[in-house]
Amino acid sequence: MELNTEEIGEVTVVSVLTQVIDAGNADDFKTGFASIVKGCKKIVLELSRVNFIDSSGCGSLLSCHRQIKSLGGDLKICGPQEMVRTLFDLVRMYRVVDIFDSKEEAVKAFLT
Amino acid sequence: MEKAKPLVLIVDDNPTNIDLLVNTLKMDYRLGIAKNGPTALDYAEKHMPDLILLDIMMPGMNGYEVCTRLKAATKTKDIPVIFITAMSEGGHKTRGFEVGALDYITKPFHAAEVKARVKTHLSLKKARDQEIYIASKIQKTLLLGRPPQNIRGIQIAHLTVASQRVDGDFYDFFKHSNQCFDIVVGDVMGKGIPAALLGAALKSHFLRVLNELSLSTHTDKPLEPAQIVSSVHTHMIDQLVDLETFVTLCYARFDMAKYLFSFVDCGHMRTIHFHDDTNRCVLLQGINMPLGFPEKEPFRQTAVHFKPGDLFVFYSDGLTESRDRDGNFYGEKRLVDFVQRNANIEPKNLITGIWNDIIAFSESETFDDDVTCVLVKIDIQDSREVFTEEDQLNIMSDLKELGRVRSFIRAFCAGIDVSLLDEKRLGMIELAATEVTANIIKHSYKERAGKPIQVNAKMWPDEVVFEFFDWGEGFDPESAPPPVFDGSRDDGFGLHIIAHTVDEVIYSREDQGKNCACLKIKLIGGN
Repeated sequence: MELNTEEIGEVTVVSVLTQVIDAGNADDFKTGFASIVKGCKKIVLELSRVNFIDSSGCGSLLSCHRQIKSLGGDLKICGPQEMVRTLFDLVRMYRVVDIFDSKEEAVKAFLT
Repeated sequence: MEKAKPLVLIVDDNPTNIDLLVNTLKMDYRLGIAKNGPTALDYAEKHMPDLILLDIMMPGMNGYEVCTRLKAATKTKDIPVIFITAMSEGGHKTRGFEVGALDYITKPFHAAEVKARVKTHLSLKKARDQEIYIASKIQKTLLLGRPPQNIRGIQIAHLTVASQRVDGDFYDFFKHSNQCFDIVVGDVMGKGIPAALLGAALKSHFLRVLNELSLSTHTDKPLEPAQIVSSVHTHMIDQLVDLETFVTLCYARFDMAKYLFSFVDCGHMRTIHFHDDTNRCVLLQGINMPLGFPEKEPFRQTAVHFKPGDLFVFYSDGLTESRDRDGNFYGEKRLVDFVQRNANIEPKNLITGIWNDIIAFSESETFDDDVTCVLVKIDIQDSREVFTEEDQLNIMSDLKELGRVRSFIRAFCAGIDVSLLDEKRLGMIELAATEVTANIIKHSYKERAGKPIQVNAKMWPDEVVFEFFDWGEGFDPESAPPPVFDGSRDDGFGLHIIAHTVDEVIYSREDQGKNCACLKIKLIGGN
């Protein structure tokens, strides 16, 4: 699982460079992501390169979100492709996590 | 075989006149005698004489009335009539010509004159009959094509009844592949040999254009109907203008792979499209002018989807403009109603049914115009029995194999036209397949490695089906808890996703312990 980190002010932006998050690598993602964002409070997960996520991938995102929330932080998601957005709609992801089209919008949402 | 002598009907109430005429003509012709108007009409209708000698002054129905009635009936209107009159005044002769007589003979007779006039008019009639014979021969051999063979899932029935005049109805079929063919149905304005020849020329232009264009494009994909019609129009417009005529036609393509009907209609009768699922007829009309009009606009093509069980009816105006005794048209509505009521019977029986209905309506079997009708029925059985493609993938129970399942799905669907299956829906099918496979590995095989999973893919023109087989513990979808959407759970979405991404999901388990999850995706009428 390839993840890239970028700091914008107080916000940590994690970009997923792997194109797929499915049952085959959802655990890798969870572990990798958790280690990267350890200690961070304001986190944006950038998904623009991801063209496929399944329910396990979704589950790992929700798990990460819950984890961060429990430590007093927040996770926002940005840049989902059409397939990923359709899946998020199916599992009502927007009810739980804030989802933005662009990284800038997601970062701005933390600053205001 | 020696041809029988021509039959001449003599209509006169005076026995002396009858004797004279009989003696004059009996050596050269077969003769029929009628002593009054009603008998003459019965005889003409029954025996179809080649010529009628008709006395004007008769008690009851006079000669003018007899002639008027003969000319009003489609069957007898082309029989030449020569009046016999004692009255040599111009007024009577004029009236005779007005009601449709070709000539007159004045009493008292001169045998030589009677013989000469009868002979002249019989040879003129023979020439006209010959023309009709040639025209109808052209029509039968050149104008009416044979339906294509070996097109899966369709039945074609056709009917042509040439009128006594032949008016240039034509149709033909052009087969591109086992799943694609074109049909052209047209009507040349005008009658007889000129119309028949023009129809034949037009048909050969279609063949030429199809041939030339397919050679020049070097692709397997046939040209669009609009391009074909446009090219034929360019070739023919000068001739059509010179001949001061025009042609109405409908050029249509049946694509059985996409279940798509694309047509270019140029002022022809509206094609009837019967929808089996709604049991309703839709009339398909184009907006193009007939060929022969100096068209400025490009020819416009229209496309509609069809489904198994649907029926298309093409026909000429001769069919809907058949008249009853009172001169009323058979009409489009009666045809549509008839098709709607009987759409589910065999096409060849349906076309016979249409024909019988027209005869019942018009109370005649002869018509002013050619009656042409072509039915194309989309089969229900064949399209289900014969799938167009199938493939299989075998993997082991490893979550790292999910990518291979998706690649298999994507490759199998690659040939489907984007209008039937777009990228978004394809992504959803990949998602459903991933969920099904992951469920098998996690739940049916309890994450044990090295267990077999088989994926079968089948494609029909209107549907794609993926079957996932495993030999694990199986699973009861009823027992799965409903999904929770509040973010408190990481799993339990799989079944919900599968149910909402494909058109139908069927889980089953065989006695031998083989489990099947079947995903159906409708290409037409799905979500």
